[in-house]
Amino acid sequence: MKFLDHLEEWLISFLMGAATLLIFVAVVHRYLAGFAIPGLQDALLKIDLTWSQELCIYLFVWMAKFGAAYGVRTGIHVGVDVMINRLPPDTRKLYVLFGLLAGATFTAIVGTLGATFVWDIAHTSSVSPDLELPKWIVYLCIPVGSYLMCFRFLQVAWSFAHTGELPKHDVAHVEGIEDVIPYDIVPDLHPAAVKGGKP
Amino acid sequence: MSAAAPLGFGTVDSPRWPALIPIVLIAIPIVLKLAGVPIANAWIIFALLFGLMLTGMPISISLGLTVLTFLFFMTKVPIESVALKLFTGIEKFEIMAIPFFILAGNFLTHGGVAKRMINFASAMVGHWHGGLGLAGVMACALFAAVSGSSPATVVAIGSIILPAMVKQGFPARFGAGVITTSGALGILIPPSIVMVMYAVATNTSVGALFIAGIVPGLALAMCLGLTTWWRARKNNYPRQPVASWGERWRTFRESIWGLLLIIVVIGGIYTGIFTPTEAAAMSAVYAFFVAIFVYKDMPLSKVPKVLLDSANMSAMLLYIITNAVMFSYLMTSEQIPQELAAWMLEMGLGPIAFLLFVNIVLLLAGNVMEPSSIVLIMAPILFPVAMKLGIDPVHFGIIMVVNMEVGMCHPPVGLNLYVASGITKMGITELTIAVWPWLLTMLVFLVVVTYWPPLSIWLPRTLGMMGPG
Repeated sequence: MKFLDHLEEWLISFLMGAATLLIFVAVVHRYLAGFAIPGLQDALLKIDLTWSQELCIYLFVWMAKFGAAYGVRTGIHVGVDVMINRLPPDTRKLYVLFGLLAGATFTAIVGTLGATFVWDIAHTSSVSPDLELPKWIVYLCIPVGSYLMCFRFLQVAWSFAHTGELPKHDVAHVEGIEDVIPYDIVPDLHPAAVKGGKP
Repeated sequence: MSAAAPLGFGTVDSPRWPALIPIVLIAIPIVLKLAGVPIANAWIIFALLFGLMLTGMPISISLGLTVLTFLFFMTKVPIESVALKLFTGIEKFEIMAIPFFILAGNFLTHGGVAKRMINFASAMVGHWHGGLGLAGVMACALFAAVSGSSPATVVAIGSIILPAMVKQGFPARFGAGVITTSGALGILIPPSIVMVMYAVATNTSVGALFIAGIVPGLALAMCLGLTTWWRARKNNYPRQPVASWGERWRTFRESIWGLLLIIVVIGGIYTGIFTPTEAAAMSAVYAFFVAIFVYKDMPLSKVPKVLLDSANMSAMLLYIITNAVMFSYLMTSEQIPQELAAWMLEMGLGPIAFLLFVNIVLLLAGNVMEPSSIVLIMAPILFPVAMKLGIDPVHFGIIMVVNMEVGMCHPPVGLNLYVASGITKMGITELTIAVWPWLLTMLVFLVVVTYWPPLSIWLPRTLGMMGPG
């Protein structure tokens, strides 16, 4: 389980960094190739980076799917919690559980639709326009990411049902400044925990 | 003081009946539809959406479930056809500016950067009435623009400047009011993630929106500064000694590295060197360079953590976008914006009444949701009506963004307010009272922005970023 957690973190950090470097290199390349530096210009003109935009999109789509799953674990997804945070703890607990299970249901449906979709296009010869990657590889992130997200929802729901605690997302952490916000202050964008009958 | 008290979390004695609202909202349309009662699809969709949202589930999930439930119970459209949108919804290069801007902001969201901005602002305006308070407005405007996050601005600037203000003899309320509201300036001054969201939802030019944000952004900073100045003069609050020009130059040189990020983005987009997404990626690399090698606030070993945090935040926003795209596709296929437009015209509503209606709806939405979600849900609905009434798309975007700023400064979801409450140890109610002079200024400014379009569109039009009106 620890391994899965680390893999997830490592993957999305890598995708973020890779996409940034990719676009940086593509832009620098475009402008350097415009200068008439003997030797260098010819070498640069030979490198074709027109596929960089497409690859950047795919990197970020993958990051979005796996990052959304990671976000369930860190409790970053925002909701409208004005009403449920004012309910008595036992009623609130039911709603929080309902919300988490609804998330699991939705991601399971999307994952299944995605799996069917990927299965269908895997039997066609459809490839992406610039990179000419098989489309099914590109879209593989949908079933895999969604099922992972479904698993994370169930994981959070399970631990909430047993402990009454939810993952706590720090809304405003700034490096170089001591944390000043007590963790149990959550604006109504996130549900409040119900540990021990009181928030 | 218990942390739960000021927020009013429910206790065992809280009323239980509100729990029935979502159940009723979700059940009514399904029951009516199954019973064969003719009812407009728009009502069904909105009842479902509000019902699901009120249960507190993530907004992205409630948008997605609304679409799936509607298609499953109410139509014969195969779910697969719309679900395709889930896969292709975010495949646009423009959207990718969002993760890049978040990354750039996170590299520079650091106490060291905040200190440099405060020193610079204090050297420039600290000797006027309002002293450190006025410097706080300016520092917030600068830091918020660079970091891109309002709550982070309140934490970074607030934790440094508020204790200093209290020590000098400012009432805690005054400082809290200044920082809470000024921290919201970030989403109006480019680069702004909320503006990218609006641009994506309505196919408006990101570049034009960014340029259009400059004048209102500076004007609002000026208005908040004036309020600070006027109240400080009336109460005779302490001022800073006049800084020498040498001091000003020194502090300027220190803060310029961070501020150049804004120049890279705006200059790059305006001159056409970069597309907005490329500008965002360049600003992320630039911010990395400044944070690690120039300011040296951050060791290289912290970079993976910044990448992970940025990816976490971006993925959350991208997930909302994915589902919002699907939702707005449903709206369009059900012709809801068109029906709303027709109804508005039939009622004889002109642009003036419509904009009033828009402001009220957005201010209400600002009570329960955060800016990105509001823009993604409301823009596709309101935008077509605005176009029918001949309102400029860029101007309409700026109106929405200013509205979002107001929402961040009042309860129950104003993030800035919560963060400020954490720093000042003041209760939410007390803070709400503390911010009202500045909040009122913002509301007046909102009216001006709404009904005086040149404030927003003069600059982009003069620079040739938009077609002639």
